[in-house]
Amino acid sequence: MSGQTGPGAHSDVEGPAAPIVSAIRRASAEIRLVRLSALREAFPAEAVCEGGLEKLLAESGAADIRRMAGERGEVYYFSAESMTEAYALHLFRVEEHDLIKLVAETVRDESRLYPRPTDLRVFSEPPFSLSLTQVNEIMARMATQPDTVDIKTCSASNGAVYLYSDRYLVPLYAERLAEWIEVGQKENP
Amino acid sequence: MAITYGYTGKILRVDLSTGKIWTDDTLKYKDFIGGEGMAMKIMWDEVAPGTKPYDPSNKIIFGTGPLCGTGVPCSGRTNITSLLPSSPFYGISSSHMGGYFATELKYAGWDMIVIEGKASYPVWLRIEDDKVKIEDARWMWGKGIFDTQAMVASFMGKDAQVAAIGQAGENLVNLSVIRTGSSHSAGGHGGVMGSKNLKAIGVKGTGSVKIAGDRSAWAELDKLMMSIIGANNQMVVPSTPQPWAEYSDKTSRWTARKGLFWGAANPPVETGECDPHDMQSVGFRTMKAVFDLGPQAEKYTVRMGGCAHCPIRCHSQLKVPQLSKYGFDEHVSNTCMGWFSPRGVMFKGIKAFDGMNADDSAVVGTAIGAKLADDYGVWCNYGQIGRDLQYAYESGILKKVLPASEYASIPWDKLEKGDATFLVDFYERVAFKKGEFSHIADGTYWLAERWGFGEDFWNGKVYKVWSRQGFPVHHSNEAGGQVGALISCFSNRDAQNHSHMNFIGSKLPIALQKEIAGEIFGSPDALDAPADYKPMNEYKARFVKWSLCRTMLHNSLTLCNWMWPMSVSPLKERKYRGDTALEAKFYSLATGIQMSEKELDEAAARCFTLFRAITQRQMGIKDLRTAHDQTTEWVVHREKGKDGKEIPQFTPGTIAMEEKDMELGRTLVYREFGWDETTGAPTRACLEKYGLVDVANDLAARGLIPV
Repeated sequence: MSGQTGPGAHSDVEGPAAPIVSAIRRASAEIRLVRLSALREAFPAEAVCEGGLEKLLAESGAADIRRMAGERGEVYYFSAESMTEAYALHLFRVEEHDLIKLVAETVRDESRLYPRPTDLRVFSEPPFSLSLTQVNEIMARMATQPDTVDIKTCSASNGAVYLYSDRYLVPLYAERLAEWIEVGQKENP
Repeated sequence: MAITYGYTGKILRVDLSTGKIWTDDTLKYKDFIGGEGMAMKIMWDEVAPGTKPYDPSNKIIFGTGPLCGTGVPCSGRTNITSLLPSSPFYGISSSHMGGYFATELKYAGWDMIVIEGKASYPVWLRIEDDKVKIEDARWMWGKGIFDTQAMVASFMGKDAQVAAIGQAGENLVNLSVIRTGSSHSAGGHGGVMGSKNLKAIGVKGTGSVKIAGDRSAWAELDKLMMSIIGANNQMVVPSTPQPWAEYSDKTSRWTARKGLFWGAANPPVETGECDPHDMQSVGFRTMKAVFDLGPQAEKYTVRMGGCAHCPIRCHSQLKVPQLSKYGFDEHVSNTCMGWFSPRGVMFKGIKAFDGMNADDSAVVGTAIGAKLADDYGVWCNYGQIGRDLQYAYESGILKKVLPASEYASIPWDKLEKGDATFLVDFYERVAFKKGEFSHIADGTYWLAERWGFGEDFWNGKVYKVWSRQGFPVHHSNEAGGQVGALISCFSNRDAQNHSHMNFIGSKLPIALQKEIAGEIFGSPDALDAPADYKPMNEYKARFVKWSLCRTMLHNSLTLCNWMWPMSVSPLKERKYRGDTALEAKFYSLATGIQMSEKELDEAAARCFTLFRAITQRQMGIKDLRTAHDQTTEWVVHREKGKDGKEIPQFTPGTIAMEEKDMELGRTLVYREFGWDETTGAPTRACLEKYGLVDVANDLAARGLIPV
């Protein structure tokens, strides 16, 4: 089943890239990203060819294969047939282990896109699955880091805490939306 | 009789005063589509102004439409039209119920039932195909709806579909329902049935609905529809991030996910992630029990139920063993307001009671209330009854208006403690009209008159009264700003309009929604981001007219307006676009009467204008703008921030409307309909355009038509 996730049928990939593409697709079907470093270990012969695995994949003709580059040099692959880029981005941020960035970027995305503040509890659930301790640590560190000063908190009248980016939402607006999400919608079924 | 398509071609007419039963021709009303539209025509023609809801000369009309019974997704609705007892001028209004009653009526060969008169003793109406009998119901009178359904089934068999009233309807409680199935309630007209001594209608049909069009074209259209459909209220993104989805929103009713179960099924059934391309999992998408009742409801959920020909199962069917302790069957079903309403009565919250923990108490307490309301047949005026109680209690009015002994007999301590067995006492007093307290269910307008509610009630934002007619917000200014606000201004009861909600509540990002709004209404400015409203414009007025007419259309076809229209879809390959012409495509194929989207919308506008004309004739006034279309004052008052300062309208974060802007909005909506821009009354030119010459002449003779 293809979901919102790209071309409906696999493009035929032949040659040395074929098993690598298959491996990426299998991992994506299991809702995992594949690291380039892991591919190099799994496919040592292909990894040492001219241009390496990255060139091989780029030229494979597999339209569903997507690449994401991390900040510490790691590269990740997934098949758009099994997951959307939006979902892969969540996994990418988790894989990168930069939890502050994970939270901040997710909050910014939601404040900009929908727009809405982000329920703090979302980060305790899949695909983030952070512990409460981790979330509290992130919150404390974000308050002091200059690159996350735009991330603010607001709360609804039932006490639920939400995060928002003041690049996109003013405080009054964020608060109203949080109240609507937590209380208002439930009173207006 | 010639074969008819979509329609059965027959309207069942029953005069309970004389016992006369006869047949009318549906197609002479076909300009009014079906259901609510045809009911408007019959009420205009046959119910004189000045008639009161409980008069024998009032009529109550059970309507289906040409798409009901054809298998079109979400087409199992019954529209019920009559005069509304809770309205200050007994305004004509419609209530609606899902379930399987409407399709069964079609299979029995009837498009509608029109009931007038009053039986000399309690009766029930028995319909088995073309055999129709008025049966003695004296042995049913005094029974709750569950027993009544069983009693009718004892005659007709368990396959019969039954619509019945409980004790509330019998006792002419204004806020009472007509219910079918285990949880499908039409709120507002139960007392009208009671006033006619009509306890129930049982129906069994062995026929079918004929479709005029090509069968393969029908199948293709059905397939298209099934690809476009989302979850309940046409929400098209899941509530949690999922691999197949680009977007998610925790407030979405598309609650299915890995690890979420119908926990009381044997064995438990996992809803799973429901890829929108998988039609077989559509019924799992809306796990409404946890949406309505919280995560604690998962373990009580046997399955999700719903209506005939609807793949969206939005009624939670629970097994709550604790209910037996309170004398109820442990199985309970409901959705949305059916759950919220008892919680509204328990306005101080349901807390841990009878030794249960807080989570279980919340489910059990809500289920007790839902069972009682559904059996007695008590309506909540879209949740308003709880807020009316709250005001009367907290303001001290209740203590003043109730005799001291009666006040002392009410277990207020249970309300204070959050013990939901308070509801046992509450609903009994209401349904049996016990004491002064029972007037709490007269409806807000009558109650406020009787008990002397102050301006602090009408103008108090917390009480959510939308109109001096006594109905509350229902997807009003909080839903699309002026769009929702103006929609609520044209109703005679809570608006019950989801045509706008099923679009703006889709949970798609705002930029995408605005693009789609631009395609439907001519400009992205038809839609604002939630709680970030901009001043009124002509595109919003188009959106309002479209929503009013589409809801009338759905109540006429009959389609579920809690799902339709299909403005959006969950499909990225369609750029999340739906298909707003689907109603016209299905109508044309079903009936063989070719109608474009525009033509069908115009037919709905005819029906809505007729509704407007009936309202005007009932009120006997020229100026609907002033006398009918206004809101209570809190709607146009500036809100205050936490710092106590007023927040100007059109500031991100406030949903307050602005008075002049709303007046402009009314003018622009009147213009869209072709009504008089000063008074909001239908003009002769408008009425004649819709073929309503007789209506124009009647209103002119009464001096009500704009010059």
